Amino acid sequence: MTDVLLKLHDVTRRFGGLTAVAGVSTDINKSEIFGIIGPNGAGKTTLFNVIAGYFPPSSGKVVFDETDISGQSSDRIARRGIGRTFQAVTVFQDHTARENLRRAAMVTRRYNPLVYFSSRNAGDESEVLQKMAQFTGLEPVLDNRAGSLSYGQQKMLGIGMALMGRPRLLLMDEPAAGLHTSEKKEAAQLIRRLRDELGITIVLVEHDMPLVMSVCDRILVLNRGTPLALGNPAQIKADQTVIDAYLGEEYDFA
Amino acid sequence: MIEQIIVNGILASLIYILMALGFTLIFGIMRIVNFAHGEFYMIGAMVMLMLFGSMGLPYFLAVLLAGLLGGLLGVVAERLLFRPLVGDELAGMIMSLAIGIILQSAILLTFGPAEQSVTRPFSGTWHLFSAAVPWDRTVVAICALLILVIFYLFMKYARLGLAMQAVAQDPETASLVGIEPGTVYASAFGLACLMAGLAGALMAPVYTVGPYMGELPMLKAFVVVILGGLGSLPGAVLGGLLIGLSESVVTTLFSSTIALIVSFVLVLMIVVVRPTGLLGRGAR
Amino acid sequence: MRNRYLYLILVVLALVPWLLGNRYVFHVATMITIMIPMALSMNLMLKIGQLSIAQPAFMGIGAYGSALLAMRLGVPPVLALLAGALIATAIAVVVGPLFLRIKGVYFVLLTYAFGQIVNLVFQEWTTLFGGNNGLYGIPKFSIFGVRLTQSPHYYALGLLLLALFYALMRRIERSDIGAIFESLNENEMLSRSMGSDALGWRIGSFALSAFIAGVSGGVYAFYIGFLSPETFGFLMSVDLIVVNAIGGVASALGPVVGAILILPLPELLRDAREYQLLIYGVCLVVFLLFFRQGLVVFLQRKRRA
Repeated sequence: MTDVLLKLHDVTRRFGGLTAVAGVSTDINKSEIFGIIGPNGAGKTTLFNVIAGYFPPSSGKVVFDETDISGQSSDRIARRGIGRTFQAVTVFQDHTARENLRRAAMVTRRYNPLVYFSSRNAGDESEVLQKMAQFTGLEPVLDNRAGSLSYGQQKMLGIGMALMGRPRLLLMDEPAAGLHTSEKKEAAQLIRRLRDELGITIVLVEHDMPLVMSVCDRILVLNRGTPLALGNPAQIKADQTVIDAYLGEEYDFA
Repeated sequence: MIEQIIVNGILASLIYILMALGFTLIFGIMRIVNFAHGEFYMIGAMVMLMLFGSMGLPYFLAVLLAGLLGGLLGVVAERLLFRPLVGDELAGMIMSLAIGIILQSAILLTFGPAEQSVTRPFSGTWHLFSAAVPWDRTVVAICALLILVIFYLFMKYARLGLAMQAVAQDPETASLVGIEPGTVYASAFGLACLMAGLAGALMAPVYTVGPYMGELPMLKAFVVVILGGLGSLPGAVLGGLLIGLSESVVTTLFSSTIALIVSFVLVLMIVVVRPTGLLGRGAR
Repeated sequence: MRNRYLYLILVVLALVPWLLGNRYVFHVATMITIMIPMALSMNLMLKIGQLSIAQPAFMGIGAYGSALLAMRLGVPPVLALLAGALIATAIAVVVGPLFLRIKGVYFVLLTYAFGQIVNLVFQEWTTLFGGNNGLYGIPKFSIFGVRLTQSPHYYALGLLLLALFYALMRRIERSDIGAIFESLNENEMLSRSMGSDALGWRIGSFALSAFIAGVSGGVYAFYIGFLSPETFGFLMSVDLIVVNAIGGVASALGPVVGAILILPLPELLRDAREYQLLIYGVCLVVFLLFFRQGLVVFLQRKRRA
């Protein structure tokens, strides 16, 4: 049994004449926290979306746990055990946090329409729901309307929802976006806990350098669609080509 | 034989183009699928019946008045009924449906369901190679061409025409530049209905006139516009020619019903494969 | 809670034809019981956020299908009815994956084109469908050897099917399927990221709506005994839209209420049948401008306020 959960083989994605991502190959190991960074326009989001199933790769393969998932639809990929969070707050605003989590739990049920026919108050997911509510600290606000929660809480809810499907791999799209400094520290802690306590492998795309450096085991740096460097935070910080690529942008590598 | 097919095709195309241009203009600018478009055609024809058939006004004057009346009706409909629904594509579509059935019922109640004839202003045929071309359809064709040329010049050079194109491309920027979208909506809708009314008036003496006569032209306009691309004016012209000619071929070889089936199958294929049609822009 | 009063009224209304005993009233009532499932069929599609005007075409497929199976192949009416509806469902399943990737206005146009094609085929293929002159001589419906010969029988049959389909729709609404539909409508990207097979659910809805329409078509065929392509044209879609718009989309009760209010109108104004469309048109305009959410929601809101 290999330790690699996600393999990217020479992944390329073109949009018409524009090559957004070219020749990305890397292995992501189980229980790893893997970061993808790069200056603006580097192709991080495109790569993320290819993995998550929003576009098929123009060439190359995405292999999840020894199954080729290239080009599969986003919902199929979700059902395989790959969850994702969104950069902007994405929750069902008019429903309670509890209802949001409950809806997210549906993916864990066996895929049989008749099962869904049963009443809305099926109890089987309430255990998992409680656990996730505790994990994300949302217990006190479970019965509040999602739209009334604070930005940070809504982001937490988004993460909780992604967790309800009990994913083995979690794709996080700029988890620190829009958070205050203190909230960012909490986010970093949460990401570590996701791996330590729940055994989830994490791939995140991020702009916030302190977070990335503090939380990731390995980092892939993209520049203009092509891989620039791959290594642990210390290696990346010291890599001259990476520093050069970021020249002209304000980043604190500390 | 071939010349006849081509001539028939082109004669039909011109009317389809008139209908399609209006239809696509409304969609391009207001994102409304105007299911009532055929009814404005029918109203043009009914007005022609009254003015030219009954009251004996001169032909060209009657055509003009019929068109203007249709246009006026369109402006009123837009202002009162469509304006409140701007942005809601589905509601706009359903509203056009409602207007269509109201117009059809109104005419049905006023004139009865029977089809009537309008005396032909011109008779006889002339020959283009081996094809027989009726004079009345020739006049229709010439008038249609004239209308198309005027329409083209209007869109290209008149301020209102350019404003319409601007709103179709990007309504927000257009309003920033000072173009009042309301005026554009009303004019575009009025213009489209004017053209439909003119088409109906021109065709009134060719076949018969009745409350249901708008349904078929509406179907054809629909097919043409989907083919050419919803919102594309050149697409409407290209689509009109293609549909008019292909229909002529299929009708001669098989039947008009089969021609219609072929057209709709074409619509299905286009919407599924390339919804923007031949010349349309990407959907917003 | 409030719905109980509404249900009571509906049950009482349902009994009216027997109280009046008038054959004409039974006819109108039977037609309503055939059209309400059609309205529900459109409502089901509206629940996934799509307006489908293919429903009359599916009704026609069910109607011609059951009629021909009973007439030409001697299939017993109950089986023929089911088979006709299943043919409609099968066609929906075949075109579904193609159509349901498209959304919004373009989807409506697709169903419009589809409906026109089906209609034209009914008109053109005269050897099979009888063309514009119609298909005559459809046998009477019979269950377990009992032949249904009179309106009241068909009314009862219609009521039974109507109740069944309505119950089904309500169950779907209240169940997790309803929650999934809501989620897909609210935020498809989010729902799919949680694993909801958006296309699959849409095809399922489309297929079920086709089945319901097909059954209604079959019942219509056996009841009237005669079919013509005109019936299953665009105009019926107008009726269905009016009923759903006025009754309201949010709950299956909406089209039921809408149908009961709207569908008898042309019969009440029997001498002025031409006014029917005019009234529909005006009602539609009024509702689009002022009550876009539909009557049922409007009434429910009023009670809450």
